[in-house]
Amino acid sequence: MDTISFVMQQTFFFMIPLLLVALGGMFSERVGIVNIALEGKMLMGAFTSIFFINQVQNSDLAISGQPLLVLALLVAAGTGVIVALFHAYASINLNANQIISGVAINMFAPAFAIYAARIFGDTQQVFFQNQFHIPSVPFFGSIPILGPLFFQNTYFTTYLGFAILFFSTFVLYKTKFGLRLRACGEHPQAADSVGINVYRVRYAGVLISGALAGMGGLIFIVPTAVAFNATVSGYGFLALAVLIFGAWKPMRILFAAFFFGLLQAIAAGHSGIPFLRDLGIPMQFYSMVPFVATLVVLAFTSSKSAAPKAVGQPYDKGVR
Amino acid sequence: MKKVLALLLAALLVFSLVACTQTPAPTPAPPAATPTPGEPSPITPEVTPVDGIFLALVTDYGTIDDGSFNQGSWEGVVAFAEANGISHQYFQPADITTAAYIDAIELAIVGGAQLIVTPGFLFREAVYVAQDLFPDVKFVLIDSTPAPPGGAPVIAQNTVAVLYAEEESGFLAGYAAVMEGHRSLGFIGGLPVPAVVRFGHGFVEGAEYAAQQLGLAAGEVSINYAYAMTFSPAPEVQTMAAAWFNDGVEIIFAAAGGAGFSVMAAAEVAGGLVIGVDIDQASASETVITSALKGLQASVYSIITDFFNDEFPGGELKIFNAAMNGVGLPMETSRFQNFTQAQYDAIFALLASGEIVVNDTVEEGFGPLDLDTELVNIILIG
Repeated sequence: MDTISFVMQQTFFFMIPLLLVALGGMFSERVGIVNIALEGKMLMGAFTSIFFINQVQNSDLAISGQPLLVLALLVAAGTGVIVALFHAYASINLNANQIISGVAINMFAPAFAIYAARIFGDTQQVFFQNQFHIPSVPFFGSIPILGPLFFQNTYFTTYLGFAILFFSTFVLYKTKFGLRLRACGEHPQAADSVGINVYRVRYAGVLISGALAGMGGLIFIVPTAVAFNATVSGYGFLALAVLIFGAWKPMRILFAAFFFGLLQAIAAGHSGIPFLRDLGIPMQFYSMVPFVATLVVLAFTSSKSAAPKAVGQPYDKGVR
Repeated sequence: MKKVLALLLAALLVFSLVACTQTPAPTPAPPAATPTPGEPSPITPEVTPVDGIFLALVTDYGTIDDGSFNQGSWEGVVAFAEANGISHQYFQPADITTAAYIDAIELAIVGGAQLIVTPGFLFREAVYVAQDLFPDVKFVLIDSTPAPPGGAPVIAQNTVAVLYAEEESGFLAGYAAVMEGHRSLGFIGGLPVPAVVRFGHGFVEGAEYAAQQLGLAAGEVSINYAYAMTFSPAPEVQTMAAAWFNDGVEIIFAAAGGAGFSVMAAAEVAGGLVIGVDIDQASASETVITSALKGLQASVYSIITDFFNDEFPGGELKIFNAAMNGVGLPMETSRFQNFTQAQYDAIFALLASGEIVVNDTVEEGFGPLDLDTELVNIILIG
């Protein structure tokens, strides 16, 4: 039991950032803009927000703990939006190739993070103190079985991630705005013909995507290191895979993120789990499992999943 | 209207071009020393040096503030240069390839560098080529010996190869951990490169030595032993360390550069302890009980001093060990409860005098460690 709840707790550290960033990717791709820049947005969000935490913790400001984390999340989201603006401008207004502008952001982000960290701080690493860990959520943490599984050794961001998931599902399927989002990604000319401003809706999708990716970056770093070192270890690209695995649908993205996170947690933690360690299976095999399993699942499910029809195409009013 | 605008733009463009060519007004002072005569292909550097650089450092994978060997070496260069008013500069290769390393070395030489410090195992081939190409320039190769790909090492007369007795540093860390009272230890290395392998082997031997000294029963001390396969912080490393702490491991020696930050993150939550590596990492996290040091700064400083005293130990392989004060633990910043300065001094003296010899061999291909431990139970994960 102890082992199961430990694996579950670790799963969240992989799963929640993947979930948020993949949802961000979903908002962008559902309006028709390919978002390969998730990695860069994640990295930029992580950089500015960790730097923000670093500055506050080294100052006399009396902000600490969860309020600081909330502020940092806002900083991360804001950064993501600013970076996304560039992507949106290039791919919506300038009709640029969306892959290329995404790649440009991915190349720019780590370089900028290193440069800025050196200029404004002392070193490339930005250190922070983890004051955000919650050993046990009051009341919920003491529930037998469910407590250790979901409410111990956790972060407030885990629940925020689920809240955003449900909210996204609601927005996408139950609101007028969500319908417009989806329409612009399937057939923007049709959407335009009924009076929807395609440019505005596409901007909204890409900016939401930036905010979620930026927050995902912060949520990714906080539990897994004591310093930000200008990398998010390729998890932005993994989120892109989760998005496709999840067939551009929120609940399936949740499943994909959970599936992948669980396998990653088992793969990385197997050496501390006596039962798995004693099997004597090489470490490389465990590291391989999440990716092989994803491939297998994709092979069986991908025929039914389809990307939004207009994804990757600049919107041209004149095309019929 | 458009034509006027276009004309204006064109004028602006021309004007700015003229402005550009005028600003630099190149009056480069002659370099402190002219580049090597007979240089095969003179290259034109992108940047014209204003002053001749005397001391140069070419960085390896990583930067001059990587908290590891680049930083330590660069601090040695800076310390000497600032104390003696000597020009110095660092160069970052464009790529992690031998060709890019050689380009960066050439750039430094064209800039006038007389002594070039190249920290890192990955420079072995670049320095092997450069030491023949530029016989009048001195090279200091840290952490390796110059060698052709797959060949035997050749140290030319203008090169010093510097190695560290990481196994002694690791030994001290392992000894201190067991003497401190820990019985369940862990080792997480970055990649199995020779320096990291030596750290790990020394750690095991140190724990074994302490177990013998304390008269512990066989198997009472156990060591989880694994490589993270990365030098960057990663959630996988955090989860591995968290799983170990959850399983009862008390202290982990993280010889893994930046990946150590993820071990510290796991330790902070789980109430575990960490031993840092290379430089004093006590400030990175409260959980860092001590660090297995390599005296990079001191050794670079001492070799540059030798160079200016005309005693450059060209052609030599220098191994900085406990006897030369090249390795150790930072006792002032350590957070030991039981392990005392006196105990440290005693074990350090035994290492320095050569009474304890730690095995420094690294097997071909850095394969699984082949150490005979009688008391320590090694749980090899790989």
